[in-house]
Amino acid sequence: MEHFFKRSICFCALAFAGDAIGEEVDFVRDVRPIFKEHCYDCHGADKQKSGLRLDVKSAALKGGEYHRPNIAPGKAADSNLIRFVRGEVEDMQMPPKGGALSAEEISILSEWIDKGAVWPDGVDAVELDDPRDHWSFKSMKRFDPPDVSASDWARNEIDRFILHRLEDEGLTPSTEASRIDWLRRVYFDLTGLPPSPEKVQEFLTNDSRNAYAEVVDELLASPRYGERWAQHWLDVVRYADTHGFEVNTPRPNAWPYRDYVIEAFNDDLPYDRFIFEQLAGDTVDRDAATGFLVTAAALLPGQIGKDDASKRLARQDELGETVTNVGEAFLGLSVSCAKCHDHKFDPMSAQDYYSLQAFFAGVDYGERLVVDEDAEKEAKVLREQLAPLNAKLIGMVPSVGVEAERPGIRASVNVDRFSPIGTDAVRFTILSTNKLEPCIDELEIFTTDGVNVALHSQGAKTTFSGSKESVNRHQEAFINDGRYGNSRSWMSNETGAGWVEVSFPDKRTIESVIWGRDREGKFRDRLALNYKIEVLDENGDWVLVADESDRAKHDPNDKSTEILTDVENLPEAIRAEARKSLEKKNDLVEQLKSYPDGGRMVFAGKFREPDPTRWLRRGDPEQPQEEVPPAVPAFLEVKDFSLDTGASDRNRRKALAQWLSRPEHPLTARVMVNRIWLWHFGRGLVDTPNDFGNSGVPPTHPALLDWLATEFVRSGWSVKHMHRLIVLSSTYRQSSLVRQDAQEIDADVQLLWRFPSRRIEAEAIRDSMLLVSGRLNLETGGPGFDLFEKRGGLSGFPPIEKFDAKGQRRMIYAHKIRMEREAVFGAFDCPDAGQSAPRRSRSTTPLQALNLFNSQFTLDESVALAKRIESEVGSDVVGQVDLAWRLLFSRKPEAKESAEAVDIVREHGLVTLCRALYNTSEFLYMP
Amino acid sequence: MSHGAEHLSGEGRRLLNRRGFLSQSGTALGSIALADLLAGDGLLGASGKGPIRPVIDPSNPYAPRRPHYPAKAKNVLVIFCAGAVSQLETWDYKPELIKQDGKPLKGGPAVTFQGPAGNLARPQYAFQQRGQTGKWVSDMIPHLAELTDDIAFVHSLTSETNTHGPAENFLSTGFVQDGFPSMGAWLSYALGSENSDLPAFVSILDPRGVPQASVNNWGPGFLPAEFQGTTFSASQPIRHLKRPDAISGPQDRAARSFLQRMNARHLERNPGDGKLAARIASYELAARMQLSVPEIGDLSSEPEHIVKMYGADDTENQTKADYAKNCILARRLIEKGVRFVQLFNGAYASGGKLNWDGHQKLKEQYDVHAEILDQPTAALIRDLKQRGMLEDTLVVFCTEFGRMPMFQKGAQGRDHNPDGFTCWLTGAGVKPGVSHGVTDELGRKAVQDIHPLYDFNATILHLLGLDHERLSYFHNGLERRLTNVEGHVIRELLV
Repeated sequence: MEHFFKRSICFCALAFAGDAIGEEVDFVRDVRPIFKEHCYDCHGADKQKSGLRLDVKSAALKGGEYHRPNIAPGKAADSNLIRFVRGEVEDMQMPPKGGALSAEEISILSEWIDKGAVWPDGVDAVELDDPRDHWSFKSMKRFDPPDVSASDWARNEIDRFILHRLEDEGLTPSTEASRIDWLRRVYFDLTGLPPSPEKVQEFLTNDSRNAYAEVVDELLASPRYGERWAQHWLDVVRYADTHGFEVNTPRPNAWPYRDYVIEAFNDDLPYDRFIFEQLAGDTVDRDAATGFLVTAAALLPGQIGKDDASKRLARQDELGETVTNVGEAFLGLSVSCAKCHDHKFDPMSAQDYYSLQAFFAGVDYGERLVVDEDAEKEAKVLREQLAPLNAKLIGMVPSVGVEAERPGIRASVNVDRFSPIGTDAVRFTILSTNKLEPCIDELEIFTTDGVNVALHSQGAKTTFSGSKESVNRHQEAFINDGRYGNSRSWMSNETGAGWVEVSFPDKRTIESVIWGRDREGKFRDRLALNYKIEVLDENGDWVLVADESDRAKHDPNDKSTEILTDVENLPEAIRAEARKSLEKKNDLVEQLKSYPDGGRMVFAGKFREPDPTRWLRRGDPEQPQEEVPPAVPAFLEVKDFSLDTGASDRNRRKALAQWLSRPEHPLTARVMVNRIWLWHFGRGLVDTPNDFGNSGVPPTHPALLDWLATEFVRSGWSVKHMHRLIVLSSTYRQSSLVRQDAQEIDADVQLLWRFPSRRIEAEAIRDSMLLVSGRLNLETGGPGFDLFEKRGGLSGFPPIEKFDAKGQRRMIYAHKIRMEREAVFGAFDCPDAGQSAPRRSRSTTPLQALNLFNSQFTLDESVALAKRIESEVGSDVVGQVDLAWRLLFSRKPEAKESAEAVDIVREHGLVTLCRALYNTSEFLYMP
Repeated sequence: MSHGAEHLSGEGRRLLNRRGFLSQSGTALGSIALADLLAGDGLLGASGKGPIRPVIDPSNPYAPRRPHYPAKAKNVLVIFCAGAVSQLETWDYKPELIKQDGKPLKGGPAVTFQGPAGNLARPQYAFQQRGQTGKWVSDMIPHLAELTDDIAFVHSLTSETNTHGPAENFLSTGFVQDGFPSMGAWLSYALGSENSDLPAFVSILDPRGVPQASVNNWGPGFLPAEFQGTTFSASQPIRHLKRPDAISGPQDRAARSFLQRMNARHLERNPGDGKLAARIASYELAARMQLSVPEIGDLSSEPEHIVKMYGADDTENQTKADYAKNCILARRLIEKGVRFVQLFNGAYASGGKLNWDGHQKLKEQYDVHAEILDQPTAALIRDLKQRGMLEDTLVVFCTEFGRMPMFQKGAQGRDHNPDGFTCWLTGAGVKPGVSHGVTDELGRKAVQDIHPLYDFNATILHLLGLDHERLSYFHNGLERRLTNVEGHVIRELLV
């Protein structure tokens, strides 16, 4: 990055003639001219190749990035500068062009270094700023709010800081916003939704002195609050439900982290705990919280090259993203520059960077099993939905004797369906195989009411012709244990032959047998190609019910693992139903994968013993240097912090969390209160919310920032406390009207002489449209609903146009495809979860207009809104218009508006009016 | 007020307050006046070194903006071959590879991206010398091969990754990660548009589907959304361009005019709020696009000989005909002043079936892909030339990386090779008939005049009159650039 506002200070060259004696080497007289002639072109004020500059004492003695020490006082022989000018190191002859130094010059330099490299202070033309000497790295100071002249305007401390600054600039605050404007503002701000007409009425008629505070209390207690504010945090950490990059496969179990964040805001979880849990929640039973560590895009094993260098690069990239999250979200520092070189502006060396990375050396991107009581309940619900679907699908498989030809035998799974028959026992006999002894992973026998009576747990008993057992792979008991796969299968002891008999405790009416070699689809040998299924009749005779004779030829390449295949050849009457059921079944099976034995899978990182961390030259995993311990950046408060390279994964993450949440930490509280401020006002007191370092922008109100930060800590890190302070302040309660006089002084409203009105965000627009149409589904939590016809993967994402109730949930509950912007609302600057979005840009584009005016979504919500209005006020058009205004704008229409609108409704219908109203600036702007 | 302003440093904001003063004082001082003001403060102009962040007027974000210095090119056409076209089958002639066909590569990698490496494999097509320059080009692309006298090749490009998605990101955004602004977004941010009825940046998707890194290739990243590419093609219109079928024309007009009245009244109640004026303007531009986009996409006005020249009439090969129509569309967009047109050839990962990712059956698949690419693309460039449009249009032919000189073990195709591959330029400001940079005799690695893709992108910006080290956007505390902290203009390619 270019450092373009130079902070260098010129000094008068205070060259003292002094008492230098002839034979003593003098830096200014003898050494500096050599540097100037041979070195400054590459290592001076304009260029600093390899990070080395030789025209400034502090920089020269510190050395470049790779060859420290360049100057080792007292030891010329150990100084790389000397070794390079002498040409002792291959490829490192200095200077590289324009001829070597003379012997005399080299001896002057050597002697100077051997004598201690004395470099007097104050002789350099330039003095570098000490990057550690930066406001945000210093302790917070709590100043009393300043005195102001218009003191009756101020309601709380915030106002006095703001007013003081306004008065300094000759500005005055704006008048108070109308009650309705404030109400709409605070509703959008805290919940992302407009107030209902009833709530508007209630507030307008509430004369209590606490009317405003009561609204705020109500909103902060609403679950809608967390759904709104969690989105802000998810923007910062770039949460998504897919892995990103080109394969962009689903991350089906990422959502517990999203729900965790919503809950944290709703519970007003103290921010220090919020930090701790996101870094080390696994140590305190808040497992989903560590989703924070792995929110970024990651390459999956199949996408990473098979060569070792590609693997090392992918691992390094993953860790780099985690460090970026921590640096940006908590520290408000753009640390990633230091991955390749010492940070240009902040006092962060490459070694510091890798020390920060070392905290996560035991963290892998992936899912881990989390046991919680809800998981088993949720899984049970899914299994209960699955059973009848399976039965339905089985019922669609062509039956023996009905179809001319049944599907060929497959290694995965085969269904033999026959006319219902009562029996005590079933025998499955194998007459030949494609290879070796036959193997069956599971034999299921279904009754007419869909119960698998072959299960051992149902009381069924088995006998076999003979078995080849190997523990935990092939055992007799595995044939009816309800579990699939080669490692839970039975194997006969005879090549190409064998039988198994299943007897029931009493007579059952059965209609299908389902069997396979390996339902997981991995093994295709040992497959029965000739077989017969018989049932025992009342006379004790075996009666044939099915065999392979009416099946199509076995296709060895058929890898399908579906019960029902060849849907296209089913009778047309059931084809659509079959397709739908299959889809639903696969969806359930997919969802069930998230619930292995007694818990759920959560994409919240996998933890193990840390790898050693080495700092990498130029950020290149192929150039590892010395090992570094986990350590916090040295330029910040590091009192009492030490960990060695042997620290465990948990201890590393805990230690980092504890350090970050120290009350006196100079960055943590400042960074977060600035975010809170930004999310309320649309811009922060520090305009670079993810960069409080030297290249960030200094605060407009430093004393206010520190006051807020210390107040935040004092309140027990309560985010809701900060909300109350802000939204009840006079600053926040100002009108948003532009005033010409003030505009001329502060066009960007940095000093808050008015409330900066703004367009609401993509999610708030969608949610608000649904709310006023009466269709917003307030179901909370769980896997996201679909915005696209697929949940991840290659190629394009066809958007869903029409949404059912599931798709009418709040947009934070959508399954977020990384990089893929939602087809209608994505154009409203919706972040793509690629890079951190600490603030949203607010562009205005023709695509937004087209989307909001012409999309099916807008049309559907217009129809729904029209229906709602009609059902509430009947056919009275004036009443319809009146209600529309109250729903969308929280006010009654003006006479002229009403007349125009009534004309539109009469001539073009209420839907036409609703479609226009959804597009109005008034609906879309937070006043 | 403006997006530029929201991300300014303290110094920038001080200046902007002065701008706010100027723009509020009711004079006709627009962005040009601001440019002068900034220049006067030493932030602009050839002498400076600091970042240049275009100032965007929120009510007219696509207003044309001046480049940093006089530009050779006004428009760019990027022909983007997704999946990594093999340099060895196209532009980078390696006679030594023919000799060493079937031999192991000494000192070569045992394992490459997809797995074990096999033996060296000769180019799968014959090569011939072409044109005045005598450039060796393969028979795979006979039509494009005829254009070599006009082309400046770079044979020595390198990428930072050997994985498609990140590599397409790198090519299009200068970063391997997801989420950085694409080149087209940078250009529409920097230069605005010459046509007020069309988007400044259009991405034309291949008829076979979207490329691997998909939206990253035309996304705005952290730039405001107005600078993203608008995707459409000859066969796929802009989404939501048409009114819904359920709405009649009169209903549509009534809703639109009522909306504009509502928004105008709202602006009257909130005077001086530029964002509200911008919204009104955006609906007007949307309405103009509803007329202009179908018109530009209607190829029926193209004369028969043009349709034939592109191969858009090919009844045997529908994909080729569809791609050819995209090529005609690209020309029409550039004719209308669309700043940046990105034309994709090839789609997503598909075992090489739908794009240039020839791992297993390279020759078989390239026969198919080449037929789709060759005639229409060559016709497009010829057509631009015959209309004089190459005078101010830069044409870029690019792919995310190259391929290995070995076949993969047990396969008839080549693995990913980011260490030396070919892209080329032609048109405005480009020196014709140049071959710059060299790979080793087997085409494994660039060995002379090695250029990371940063340099290629820096060169493109340069031709548009933009200094890649200065065109910047302040994001998360960093001056972000298309070329990160890298990049050198490849002077050898310039007139």
